[in-house]
Amino acid sequence: MEACSKYIQNIADYIDGEIDSVLCSQLEEHLKSCENCRIMVDTLKQTVYLCREGKKEKLPTEIENRLNDAIKKRWEKKFGKK
Amino acid sequence: MNERELIIKAQSGDFDSFNRLITDNKDKIYRLALKLSGNRDDAADIMQETFLKAVDNIDKFRLESSFGTWLYSIALNTFRSRLDDNKKMPLKTIEEYLPTGHDHASSKLLDWGNPHDLYEQKQLKDIIESYLDEMPHKYSLPFILRYMEDLPVKEVASLLSLSVAAAKSRILRARLALRERLTEKFREKTSGSL
Repeated sequence: MEACSKYIQNIADYIDGEIDSVLCSQLEEHLKSCENCRIMVDTLKQTVYLCREGKKEKLPTEIENRLNDAIKKRWEKKFGKK
Repeated sequence: MNERELIIKAQSGDFDSFNRLITDNKDKIYRLALKLSGNRDDAADIMQETFLKAVDNIDKFRLESSFGTWLYSIALNTFRSRLDDNKKMPLKTIEEYLPTGHDHASSKLLDWGNPHDLYEQKQLKDIIESYLDEMPHKYSLPFILRYMEDLPVKEVASLLSLSVAAAKSRILRARLALRERLTEKFREKTSGSL
């Protein structure tokens, strides 16, 4: 029980590749024998994969045109017309 | 012309330089605003307010961060000024999300397998967005910036005025909370289909 809580606190760093090599090998050793921690690592990884999936939304042209007009007006108000 | 030169020219009133600076950032800020607000109307408002504040304050920008990071910080402040976190679901502590040890007979975690066998990609996206929306922003914001905007933890911490340790802890709690909610959803689906 102690082992799980010790390693699992470092799971995020492990998944993100930001863990030191000694702790990394200890954690990997632990994962071989602990199914719950292995599932925890796997599902935490998948959580981020799922969040990153999907097409990147583009700014709709109509909104961009409206934005450009508003920026131009505000710029001219601040700095004056060219 | 590099970014620094463009900023200096923009600060002296050169609109074309400002335009070049914001062109590459429009999609990024819109996507961030969309993730933060969860709907297109609010996203468009947050984005417009962000760029107008950038115009108003361009001469005060001290070039201590990249222009993109500066825009992010304006967008986050704009979003946070509209927040009402009172109705959000509280999160548990990190320890409460963790499995309780080797004696797993009564508490075996659910192995997700492939979530795409249970839900289509669009459904999964909607589920995740609704869970992030229910989460207090002090957790969802760092998580979104870290994993959906791919910012380094240090930058997330700096944008949100947190220590790196606090940013890391919030990101992990959000990730654990999201994992737990998704697990419940997948468990419902698998038990319902038996």
